[in-house]
Amino acid sequence: MPELTYAEALRQALREEMLRDPRVILMGEEIGVFEGVYKVTRGLLKEFGPERVRDTPISEAAIAGAAVGAALAGLKPVAEIMYMDFVTICLDQIATNAAKMRFMSGGKLKVPFVLRTQYSLGRMHGAQHSQFYPSIFFQVPGLKVVLPSTPHDAKGLLKASIREDNPVVFVESGALYRTKGPVPEEEYLLPLGQCDIKRKGDDLTIVAVSRVVGEALTAAAKLEEQGVSAEVIDPRTIQPLDKNTIVESVKKTGRLIIASDDVKSGGIGSEISAIVVEEAFDSLDAPILRVASADMPIPFSPPLEQAYMPNAQKIMEAAKKLIG
Amino acid sequence: MLRKMIEIRRFEERVERLFLQEGTLIGPSHLYLGQEAVAAGAISALNDDDLIVSTYRGHGHAIARGVPLNPLMAELFGKATGTCKGLGGSMHVSIFPEKGILYASAIVGSGVPIAAGVGLALQQAGKRQVAMTFFGDGATNTGAFHEGMNLAAVWKLPVVFVCENNLYAMSTRADKAIATESVADRAEAYRMRAMAADGNDVVAVFLSAEEAIENARKGEGPTLLECITYKLKGHGVYDKAEYRPKEEVEEWRKRDPIDTFEAKLLKMKLTAQADIDRIEKEVAASVEESVTFAKSSPILPFEELSNFVYAR
Amino acid sequence: MFRVAMPRLDPGMQSGKIVEWLKKEGDRVEKDVPIVRIEGEKTTFEVNSPGAGVVRKLLFEPGTDVQVGQTIALVGEPNETLPVETGAPAAPEPAVAQQVTVAPAGPRIQEPSASPVARKMAREAGIDISKIKGSGPGGRIVREDVQKAIDQMRSQPQAVGFSAQAARAVPIARTIKLAGKRKATAERLSYGFHTTVPVTITMEARMDTMLGHRKELHNKTGEEISITAYVVKAAAKALEDHQMINSSLEGDELRLYSDINVAVAINTPDGLVAPIIPQTNKRSILEISRGIRDLTERAIQNKLAVTDLTGGTFTVTNLGGFGVDLFAPIINPPQCAILGFGRTSEKPVIIEKQVQVASITTLSLVFDHRIVDGVPAAQYLQRVKELLEDPKKLE
Repeated sequence: MPELTYAEALRQALREEMLRDPRVILMGEEIGVFEGVYKVTRGLLKEFGPERVRDTPISEAAIAGAAVGAALAGLKPVAEIMYMDFVTICLDQIATNAAKMRFMSGGKLKVPFVLRTQYSLGRMHGAQHSQFYPSIFFQVPGLKVVLPSTPHDAKGLLKASIREDNPVVFVESGALYRTKGPVPEEEYLLPLGQCDIKRKGDDLTIVAVSRVVGEALTAAAKLEEQGVSAEVIDPRTIQPLDKNTIVESVKKTGRLIIASDDVKSGGIGSEISAIVVEEAFDSLDAPILRVASADMPIPFSPPLEQAYMPNAQKIMEAAKKLIG
Repeated sequence: MLRKMIEIRRFEERVERLFLQEGTLIGPSHLYLGQEAVAAGAISALNDDDLIVSTYRGHGHAIARGVPLNPLMAELFGKATGTCKGLGGSMHVSIFPEKGILYASAIVGSGVPIAAGVGLALQQAGKRQVAMTFFGDGATNTGAFHEGMNLAAVWKLPVVFVCENNLYAMSTRADKAIATESVADRAEAYRMRAMAADGNDVVAVFLSAEEAIENARKGEGPTLLECITYKLKGHGVYDKAEYRPKEEVEEWRKRDPIDTFEAKLLKMKLTAQADIDRIEKEVAASVEESVTFAKSSPILPFEELSNFVYAR
Repeated sequence: MFRVAMPRLDPGMQSGKIVEWLKKEGDRVEKDVPIVRIEGEKTTFEVNSPGAGVVRKLLFEPGTDVQVGQTIALVGEPNETLPVETGAPAAPEPAVAQQVTVAPAGPRIQEPSASPVARKMAREAGIDISKIKGSGPGGRIVREDVQKAIDQMRSQPQAVGFSAQAARAVPIARTIKLAGKRKATAERLSYGFHTTVPVTITMEARMDTMLGHRKELHNKTGEEISITAYVVKAAAKALEDHQMINSSLEGDELRLYSDINVAVAINTPDGLVAPIIPQTNKRSILEISRGIRDLTERAIQNKLAVTDLTGGTFTVTNLGGFGVDLFAPIINPPQCAILGFGRTSEKPVIIEKQVQVASITTLSLVFDHRIVDGVPAAQYLQRVKELLEDPKKLE
């Protein structure tokens, strides 16, 4: 099976979907001539032309808004917001409009577009170019929020997201763009709203998303050497969340750690924690721990940024707290 | 077009009574009273396959486009038979994709970039369709407005941006909020074609809109069409608009779009009083029927609501 | 500024009612002068001023219930600013009550730290979790600890006198997995044995008159009347005057039941069951006898309903049919007591210094000493014996 980078896997997904469906168009800053700041859109302008690969001015509200409008009128736009930090500039279009349009129209409107974005935590981009907070979208049901953690997942999930009839916020991890992984040659899609058990185990459940999945697997391998068998679950989609897989796992192991790059307070871990306490209280053998970023803006200085972020070591320390 | 204007006027008057006198309806509602010529004129110039992005002051747009009164009224009542099954309310009542009204946002200005996107899709489709969107003077100050206008201009999208300049954004006078001399002047910043029309003269609006639409169809890009008009009442149904000077209100009342149009038609013998009376009677009946329809319609059961969050 | 707070008069007191203010705002008082009358759980008493000063504020109306510890009045100098009341009970500076000294707050029951799954397992296995030692972080009792305790509970106890070596060397002929009724019985009785404090008292009862009564009843009705029916009726009727025994202890709540439902232990091929005769004291001996027969049949055919098996307040068990004279049965949890009796056999008795023959049965009452003491238990058994020896009293 060929090994592709995360960025290349995404590129293939975009290209295949654009070939398959002429309604798919791309829009965003620097995606055409520059081929994307992370080269995800390399070669696409050349292949599909400026009508379908559109460089936009620096207008996040217009990028998101135009994507919404085009989706309403029959296209399948894939808009790129260069950094997740800029999502707040166009939050009106995504949260107040797109997420709610189907409901507010009594089911009449369909808004099939994908908003691709990425977060650069771990790459010393500073406080305003590193933020990861997909959990804000929990508050506006109507969107789907997808977080791929490997090249294999990235391709299958992006293809599925483009074929979705609902607005999808597709959050890529900047730190993973250059990582490699096996990607099948045949066409495949991955379902949204389903967890992927990346490693089976019996003593401890670790739910991790995006970049942290790799850290969780590293921690799980080290824990294995110490006789602790950890199950690593990658939700892939946090909205809608496949809570059954997580709950069943906790019923088996009795212990849960949720690891993610967002800030601890009000992050993904908070929501999953509440769900598990509600649905698997009698199975818990220990409190639920969240391993997440510190409650502060992201510091620039590289060692400080590392100390701010979750990693395999911190996951192992949490495991120790649970198991003793 | 006269009929449409009368329909809008009587419908809105009835709605106002339902809110203020009868107390049957509650919540924000933004009536189109006084601006009938803009919707009737501009929308009449569109083809059936052209698309519209409306606003929260959208009852007028819907009626001008031919959305039946029954589901409109039912939506105001929050009933399952409403245009949005009762889930949207007054501010989204004009959403009616069956007649090409793709969306109506409650956020000032947010429809502008969306309209640009609609224009983008139409441009791609290549069938010479046009997108038209409406917004007020206040919206021209928002970031979304500028971003949408700029993008439409840069990509030469087939959009007619109709500004319903009723001189007030709630209580804020346009001349105090807008940095340019007029809204139309703003188009220059984007090197976009601009036109201005007397928003209370339905024929003037129609002719200007027709020209803008034709340009867009030919692929010559977007136009900003500023229509100067005036609200008969306040911003929302409860707003008494005491911030407007009485003389100004009086001045504009004399320029009532329906009265002046009727007078012109009668003078030019293009219609007779009897015809006007007949229209009024029919409109009154259909408005009343819509109220009865709305009152007797059911409300969606709450259990069904979660089905509307995602498209399946 | 002195705070007068609602005092706690006994460990269980949560709040007291203000009956009457003995001083009004503005009155000058000396230290230890009574300023308010309070009603506690059982008595009224007066609370004195903790210091000399002017009554600045009376915070509640008479008739109000106030939480223990909360400030109810302020005594100070007229020029002192009044402190802001936060509403949370102030740290107790209680006024000295006249008749009752303020008792310290009741002992805090320390709940052991245990995980939810550990609690659930302990609860279902009938183990008192506070008796388990926790091996989790901070001494938390975790699943593993409860599992160990459960395993221990189920392992066979070592026979007295045999060496461990000998026990391990015994070959196993057959293994039967504990399941179904057997398992349920095992768990239930084990739980009962571990939680109750059983004490056994025995009395011999002369059954001659009862046997005669039984024969008459048989002749009258043509039906076989079991001795058990008599014992059950006697036990039930005696409970009418000894409500303490018709009870169960749940945690620290003693429940005295208004209905008397005697359960009868029945041996079936699958194991022991104890279905009830509802309202036993209100039924005739004939009814009870029929009831026992019906229950026995249905028990053997496994056709007992849930309503048959729940609601028992007392149990009667009989091994007389198998030649047993006397035995100390296990109390059927959560009941207070169980009455066992053995076979009725002819024995020599001394009546007025003469040796005579009489039909004797030994009654053994095993009761839970947490609920009832020896003397009332003996009195109860005495009553049972009395009723059995003179069945006319049973009607």
